[in-house]
This record gives sequence, C-alpha cells and structure tokens, in this order.
Amino acid sequence: MQRRIVITGIGAVTPVGTGREQFWDNLLAGQSGIGVVESFDTSGYSVHRGAEVRGFRVEDYLEHTEASQLGRASQFAIAAARLALADARVRPDALDPERAGVAMGTTSGEPREVERFDDAFVGKELSSVGAEFIARYPCHVISEHVASELNFAGVNMMIPTACAAGNYAIAYAFDMLRAGRADLMLAGGSDAFSRITYTGFARLGAIAPEICQPFDRNRKGMVPGEGAGVLVLEPLDGAMARGAHVYAEVAGYGLSCDAHHMTAAHPEGDGAARAMRQALEQSGVRPEEVSYISAHGTGTATNDRLETIAVKRLFGDAAYKIPISSVKSMLGHTMGAASAIEAAVCALAVNCDRIPPTINLEEPDPDCDLDYVPNYAREHRVNVAMNNAYAFGGNNASLVLRKCEV
Amino acid sequence: MRRVVITGAGVVSSLGDSPAALHAALCEGRSGLRPVELFETGMLGCPLGGEIKSFDARNYLGKRNLRPLDRTSRLVASAAQLALDASEWTAELRADREVGLVLGTMFCSVHTISEFDRRALEAGPGYASPMDFSNTVINAAAGQTAIMHNLRGTNTTVSTGTTSGLNAIAYATDLIRGGRARALLAGGADELCFESFYGFDRAGLLCHTTGAAGDFPIPFDARRNGAALGEGAALLMLEDAESARERGARVLAEVRGHGGGFDCSRGKKDLKAVEAISRAVRLALSDAGVSTREVDCLSASANGSPARDWHEAHGVACVFDDSSRSLPVTAIKSMLGETLGASGAMQAVAMLETMRDGVLPGIPSLQELETDFPLAMLSPESREVEVHCGLVNSVGLDGNSCSLVLARGEEF
Repeated sequence: MQRRIVITGIGAVTPVGTGREQFWDNLLAGQSGIGVVESFDTSGYSVHRGAEVRGFRVEDYLEHTEASQLGRASQFAIAAARLALADARVRPDALDPERAGVAMGTTSGEPREVERFDDAFVGKELSSVGAEFIARYPCHVISEHVASELNFAGVNMMIPTACAAGNYAIAYAFDMLRAGRADLMLAGGSDAFSRITYTGFARLGAIAPEICQPFDRNRKGMVPGEGAGVLVLEPLDGAMARGAHVYAEVAGYGLSCDAHHMTAAHPEGDGAARAMRQALEQSGVRPEEVSYISAHGTGTATNDRLETIAVKRLFGDAAYKIPISSVKSMLGHTMGAASAIEAAVCALAVNCDRIPPTINLEEPDPDCDLDYVPNYAREHRVNVAMNNAYAFGGNNASLVLRKCEV
Repeated sequence: MRRVVITGAGVVSSLGDSPAALHAALCEGRSGLRPVELFETGMLGCPLGGEIKSFDARNYLGKRNLRPLDRTSRLVASAAQLALDASEWTAELRADREVGLVLGTMFCSVHTISEFDRRALEAGPGYASPMDFSNTVINAAAGQTAIMHNLRGTNTTVSTGTTSGLNAIAYATDLIRGGRARALLAGGADELCFESFYGFDRAGLLCHTTGAAGDFPIPFDARRNGAALGEGAALLMLEDAESARERGARVLAEVRGHGGGFDCSRGKKDLKAVEAISRAVRLALSDAGVSTREVDCLSASANGSPARDWHEAHGVACVFDDSSRSLPVTAIKSMLGETLGASGAMQAVAMLETMRDGVLPGIPSLQELETDFPLAMLSPESREVEVHCGLVNSVGLDGNSCSLVLARGEEF
C-alpha cells in the first residue's frame, strides 16, 4: 500500500493578493490583478500592462536571511513558503530538518540579476557587478534560500521546466514523500516580473494590450505576471496524527513532451492529451469522474484553441460537462509560479466546492465551446480536480487532486 | 521496485567525444584546460577553461537544421545522439516507444539570455529576436533536444547548481523505479560562456594561475586555490532492467542507489557542510544496499575549492571511518575543470569506463596533502583498481550534495 499524500497548507503571493484567504476571496470575486507595469519603463514597447505583485514586504517573512541577499523570486518563494507552513499550522523548528524538503519550479529563476548584469555591461560599468551575481542569479538558489531560511535540510530540488514548472515540482515532492525520502515537503513555483520575459512575449506578439480574456472569441493574448505559490505536502497518516486540516489528496500526475515545437503546442494536442491520460490512469480516475479542470488558459489564440482540442480528445463527450476555468484571466501568467498557484486553486476548489471564474469572457468562440465558468464563480461539487500546465519546450504536466476520503 | 540499468552513454567534452576517449585522456593525465578562446579573458583573473575547441554539432547531428540551437542545446543534442546510438535506440524504436529526457543544468544558456536582453537594451525591444527568446528559458536545451530526437516522454530540467547532472540521474532513476518511465536519457550540460565565467571570477571561485596549462586546479592538494570552469554534456541512457532485457540491450551498469543532503548554512559552517555531504553518501549507500567495504572507488566532486574539497574529504571520511584512507579516489575536475551541470554526469560516464577496464584516473599535479587528511589513496597517476561498485559524489557550491552508487552490470 503506497503512502497517500495530502495538501495541508497553501501559501500564495499573487497579483490579486497574498495569503490563502485574500487570494481565494479575490479570485472568487473575479478581481483582476492586471495593471500598468511599474517594474520597468515600457515606453519602448507597444504594450504596457502586466500582473505585478504590489506592496510586497519581504521583511515580514524573514527570520534568518538578509533581504539584500535575495532576488525577488526567492523573496516571493520564502514568503509563500512561510504562509503555507502557517496555514498548515506547522512550526518549522518543530520538524526533523533532515526529513523536511523543498521542491520549487521556475521559468526564469532570478532574471533581474542577469538584467542588472546586462545594464552594467551595456553601460560599460561591469565592474559594478561583483560576487553577488553568482550568489543570487542561478535558479537553484530559490529552493536553497527557502530551505536555508526555514532550516529544511532534506531533499532540495529546483525544476526550471518553464511555465509548467510548478506542477513538476509538486509531482516531484509527491514522489519523494511516497518513496519515504521525506516526511514533509514544501512544493511550488516562483517567478519575478522580468524585462526579458516581457520583451520576449512582446516580440512574439503574444501580449494582450488591455485585459486577459481566455477562451473569448476576441482574446488578444496573455499578460505576463509574477508571484509564487507553495503547498505543504505530507503523508496522510502524519497529517492525521497531528490533526491537520486536509485540503485535498494528490492522486497522481502525468508528464509528457510534444517533441514538436519550442513555443507552439502540438496541433492535435497530442502531448497534452498524453499527460492528462497518464495522470488519470495513475490516479485511478475515470475521465467522467473529473469535476473541474484548471486550464493552462493563457489567453492566446492558439493556446486556448489547442487546449480545448486536447481536452476533447481525452474526455470525449464528457468534456462538455466538466467546468473549466482559467485564473490567468485575473492573475495574468505568473510563469513558473502559475501551475503551483493553480494547484492551490484546485486544492481550494476541492476543499470548498467552489470554482473561480474565467473573467472577461464575453463572446464565445466556436473553437472553444466548452464550459469555461464565464465571469462568475460557481458552487459545484468538486470531487476530482485536474490542473493542466503547458510550457515552452513542448512540456505538458497534468496533476490530479481529489477529496481525501479516509 | 524496478531496477535501473545503463545501456549507453554519450559525452561531448574538452577531452573527447566518446566515453572511451574521455577515459583514455583522463587516465593519461591529459588536461582539457587551455587558454579560453570563446571570449575575451583579459579582464578576468583566470585565463584557463575546459573549452571544447572547434566544437561542431554537425559532426553528430548531420545536416539537420541547427540554426535554432544555441551552444548548450547543441552540446546536449549531440550527446543525446551519441547516447541513443550507443544504446541502439533507433529512430524507428523511438517512434514506437516513448523515451524521455532529464537534463541537469546550472545555467542552460545564461549567454543566450544575456545577449537577448542586451540586444533589446542597445537597439530597442523591437530588435530582440523571437527565436532567441524561446532559448532563454532554462529548459531550452531539453526542449530542443526532444524536438530533434523525437523524445516524447517526460522532459524535465533539473537545476541544483553543480550537482544538477547527478541529481538528474537520481531523478530519472526514481521515475523508472516508480514505473513512471521505461527509458530516459539523463545527465547534464553547461557551456563555457563569458557571463558565468565572469560571475565565478568575481566570486573568487576560480584558481589563480600564471596561465600555463597543467598546474592548476589541483583538487585535494594542500596548494589548491580554486577551480577552473569547463563545459560539455554527458548523458546516460537509463532503462528499466526488464525492458532493457526484453529488447536485448547491452547493459553497462546498474544505478544501485542515490542520496542527497542539503546544508542549511550553504557551505559557510564547516560542521554542517561536512554533515550534509556525509548524509548524501550514507543515504546513497543505504538506498543501494551497499556497505562501505563494498565500495571499490570514489569519483570525487573536488574541483580545487579550498573549502569545498575539505568538506567533501571529511564528509566521506565520516561515513567510511578509517577505511577512507584505503579508498581509491579520483577527481576528474583536475583535468576537465568544473563543468557545472555536466560535471556529475561526466563523472558517472568516466566511472563506467573505470568499471570496464579497471583503471582509475589520477589527479595530475597532486603533490601534497594537508596533515591528517582523511583521504590517502590519491595519486597523480592513474592506477589499476578492480571496480564492481563505484561511488560518485557531487558537491555544490552552496549547499546541495548528491551521491550515486553504480554497480557493474554483469548479472543482467
């Protein structure tokens, strides 16, 4: 009998709020976190909006680390980790450090550190960049900073599998707990708002000028965002022993690669469907048992159309009966954090039987003809939730959560 | 639990582009460290790097369109081709069955990322190349390689600093053990580039040398004063033992187990640093079901770092007690340099060759050890060692540590 793994804590730092309650309430209320970019000057761009985290104070979350040693993604990650532990009512110093681990995902790591390097390089002031570049830039420092701040000496893993990275990190943590390599894992994703990412998506013509409207006929693209989502994962027996509240059980996951194109999804949704199928098979869940799908739903013309094809390919007629929503309509695309934040959404949906909406969905698209929970949150029994995430490199990751029946 | 075997290996390094060539060079004590030609080193303290001179991916990948691939991606795609060939995973077989890729990398290409950004800064955002953008993600090399070789299985990029390559092998091993995959290419890669070189230089991590190739870095030597950077890619083909047998694959070795440890002081407190390394070794041996007496040699992570080499030596000694003095040890970063995300996988490939022919590379230029140094079976020359079971260590700059146990594959 394999160890059952459950989610007992949720921490989020997002453009619509920090902490589980604020984040969840705002998503259910359909509130958007998208505004004019403040991180850098966008006057050289044809688009100017993004989903940034405002008013964030890392000092509120640090006990052992100096804020000046941390890039922004590490700061978000530590904050989300502390919030998740508090939410799970776990005191980090009460844990056996060697049995407590961290797995995080990211798209860009600490892009602002390399941007600072580039500013200095172009400004012919490279000598102003010193030892802090290597101490703060490589992406693995994110999970290391979290672990070192919390004194977690166990498994430590960083998975930079772009915009599906959060799901990969949660899947990894799930496996580590099942294999008995850890007793508690913090797992999630983090990314900081980045000039490089913004430039790239702008050059791909993928950024929407005003709002993000996934699955709408007139959708104009994605909106880059930032944030972090971290979950506390632990074996069910341990959670029960300490009387923890269980949001949801992690039932299984599936990973696949299109091996088709770096930035465009497979035209028939091949890889996405394989990841979903694998996730369902390994979870022992039949397609018609899925009660909610959190879509990757970026708001680009191609993603939303192909994702719809992939869901139909796997679920057949049942696809029309499953509510699907994209919280990216409100959060923008928080990159490597996105699927971790969306996993938190799935856990909360399973826990509360409520589904956050896809906002800005005014005009249906004939190519996107499923139930996308338009504009208003919905009460709906969620026994099983599936979290889909796709990434550059043709990576697909699907995670299945379900109500924890004891 | 399923057993995990190695059915092939591919390597592109400054000392050769096959496991046998790499091993021969290491055993002869040849160094891949030369004055760097890829970029200007005038402003930097260390002119030496383990650069792959005249690297041309067309030698491995033929006439396929290589334009979208940066140097790191070309290194990975080349090593993948070599590993697929060595394990006889033909294109036809790959069309029929899923093969995945788990790639460890520290930077993937910080050079591509930085160049993309600098172009936008200098010429305006409208001049940055969309094609380059897709290579700015840290999983670009894994994605490009999957496209080139039709690798439709799990495609995961693992980044844990210089332990990335070994951690990728550990990650892939767990996926196969758990029945989540049958065949995975696993290993690591990093390229030599100005951006990372500059960072290591400024952080005081590189060796000081007059520029004459051959003397530095000297892992474990009392005179060590830093590492040299290198580059390359190394991939193992890992397979579920049963599937490998069914398809009649040749088995080179078995991945018997792995373990990891994280040092919350991130290398700053000696006791904690030593403890984390020893924990990784101990967990790996216990995962493998192997006692210290059964370990025939160690491929150390040591790269010439004054602090980290010391931590590693004492971490190993904590587990092996007195027998650490009779454990044959090599440190191939003395010749390849610190190849970052590739390094642990490079060591694993070299270990396979040591298992095959019974020769363990030496540590060139090694002359003197500190008094009471806990490792003693170190020598500048290679030596003969019958290896059934080898331990591979990977010790990060800043806290992560990973150990892997490989065993000869005769029983399959």
